[in-house]
Amino acid sequence: MIEVKNLVRAFKSGDRTIKPVNDVSFELEQGTLASIVGKSGSGKSTLLSLLGALDKPTSGDVVVNGVSLAGMPDGKLTEYRRRDIGFVFQQFNLIPNLSALDNVMLPMEFAGIRKSARSQRARELLEQVQLDPDKHVRRINRLSGGEQQRVAIARALANEPKLILADEPTGNLDEQTGEHIIELLSSLSRDHNTTILVVTHDRSLANKTDRRFRLQQGKLTEEPARNRPAVPAAV
Amino acid sequence: MSVLARSVGNAFRNKVRTAAVVAVLAVAIGLALAMLVANQAVGAKVQELNASVGTVLTVNPAGGQGFEGGGEPLTSEQAATAAGVPNVTAVVGTKALRLRNAAEAAAQAAAGQTGGPGGGQGGPGGQSTTTLTTSLTAAVDAGSLGNRNQAGDGTTGSTGATQPARTLPITATGIGAEVDSTGKALELMEGTGLGDYAADSAKALLGTTLAEKNNLKVGSTFTINSKTFTVAGLFDAGTTFGNNALYVTLPAAQTLAELPGELSTMIVTVNSMENVDSTKTALQSALGTDKADVTQGQRNLETAVSSLDSVKNISLVAFIAALGTAGLIILLIMVMLVRERRREIGVLKAIGAPNRTIGLQFVLEALVLVALGSVVGAAIASFASGSIASALVSSSTGTTTATAGQRGPGLAGAAGGFPGGVPGQGGPFGGASQLLTSVTASASPGVIAAGIAAVFGVAIIGALVPALLTARIRPIEVLRGE
Repeated sequence: MIEVKNLVRAFKSGDRTIKPVNDVSFELEQGTLASIVGKSGSGKSTLLSLLGALDKPTSGDVVVNGVSLAGMPDGKLTEYRRRDIGFVFQQFNLIPNLSALDNVMLPMEFAGIRKSARSQRARELLEQVQLDPDKHVRRINRLSGGEQQRVAIARALANEPKLILADEPTGNLDEQTGEHIIELLSSLSRDHNTTILVVTHDRSLANKTDRRFRLQQGKLTEEPARNRPAVPAAV
Repeated sequence: MSVLARSVGNAFRNKVRTAAVVAVLAVAIGLALAMLVANQAVGAKVQELNASVGTVLTVNPAGGQGFEGGGEPLTSEQAATAAGVPNVTAVVGTKALRLRNAAEAAAQAAAGQTGGPGGGQGGPGGQSTTTLTTSLTAAVDAGSLGNRNQAGDGTTGSTGATQPARTLPITATGIGAEVDSTGKALELMEGTGLGDYAADSAKALLGTTLAEKNNLKVGSTFTINSKTFTVAGLFDAGTTFGNNALYVTLPAAQTLAELPGELSTMIVTVNSMENVDSTKTALQSALGTDKADVTQGQRNLETAVSSLDSVKNISLVAFIAALGTAGLIILLIMVMLVRERRREIGVLKAIGAPNRTIGLQFVLEALVLVALGSVVGAAIASFASGSIASALVSSSTGTTTATAGQRGPGLAGAAGGFPGGVPGQGGPFGGASQLLTSVTASASPGVIAAGIAAVFGVAIIGALVPALLTARIRPIEVLRGE
């Protein structure tokens, strides 16, 4: 379970203070597939970076399975990211001089998994995201945008994280592959009890999530999902 | 893919840049290795020079040297005085005799050639030498130089058409220990030494060419005046002049000369190079400036050694500077790479890479570049080290060599010419300039390996700084530009 408590991230810009995340609070049960929608620059990526311990909040706290991230030392935060978090970045952020397979194997290497085991799992994951086997050993910079996105998704799944944070995971995919990725994420949350929080502009994707949030000027509100009525995000 | 494999891959990410970095590193590393090789070569040469010269002082009668000059002869009492001077470890007295073949001496006497100034066949001066007859024949022909040197008027070119061919005398030296007249141990080719050098024995050591000329072997006999001597051993002095000589015990020489207690020279050994100067002064003071001349055989070479020491120091400083440059190049390159890959480092941190893994990756990448630079640098050093060492030595010792050259040939002439002193004296003196220019720098595997180890040590230090910088990069860098 993820609890977000009065989360604030403020930046100084001259005399002004900007708060892309301003007093955000919500809870997500384990295994929930949730989405955040909002305009560009509304703070969606900043919120994801706070949840994924890439950045530290100005105030507030994120509690994951009862463990607070506030005040956690950097080494523990690294361990948290390695063990519990899977990122899918908007710009993929793959290592360009490595192959697709090597990129997927990287998080497993950091987790200390043996080479043969991580190689096998990496191949399975790349097959799950429908990357052609002959492209597994191809360098990232020789893959198309859509293929790179699938490799990024496979990398996020590598260590079987409890929480997947995905920034526009279907943004560069054709409709058919996008549908497949949505199915994959749904089955992960359903069958593997993985919590997935997706930032998207894709209405069809947002409509398929269990819970939908809208971030506007740093404030988060929950939208009615499927048959549920609209309620404030902060409970 | 392991950290090492990733580091190797990263090192070749931009091939043009890698080639440029390796080229710059290779120059710095090559220079460092060449300087190390030069340093080792010069160090070895200094050791060789020190070993060849030793710590010997030579005492001659004041105003005299060998068969030249005048003054009063040295005595055994003065040897005892010299032995009491601080830092003196040994005093060996010598007594030089000049031997003439008995038959030739008789023939020349009959021809009336003995009346030259300064003692005729005894040569000009000859303040402490005595001319005796022997059954031996000199192994060296007089030639033009011998005839000129033995001319009755003592000037050049006056050989006289009616005079019979002259022969050179043989130098016999009485010695108080098994050393030659420069204090170096005799190199015996056959036989044994003279045993008790303090005894008036009838044993002698002959130069190899002198023995060959007279068909003598170990155990053969010959005469000096009317006394029969047995050949106890054959020595090789290394020169034709030096091998036309013989050694007997000091008391035997003094008895032959009928001058008991008289010495031609004293060879004084000092306990260390550092004490040579002070001991020379003390010895001169103890013996009296009007009684004895104390000379330091290695004076010229000491200047040369000092010069070589400067080269050694310069090469060491240059080695350290080149090493530091290589380290600085690595530092700057790696700092540049860390700055360039901030986002990638952020990605690695975002997916859970510990700081030490990222740091290690950058250190290994630096070492890959250094390894490549070392290979090329070692090749450069193996080709250039000889030239660099020669250039360093010749530029630094040019003045010294000139100085040594002015005095060196004079001393060599004194030893090599007929009226000169004692066999072998010219060797280490006259060869100073040749010794200086004969520094051979060869890039031995051991020196290259030691140099490369030092380069790697510096490279690790240079790479650690940027590696530590990676720890300060926050994972949020991954979102830069998004």
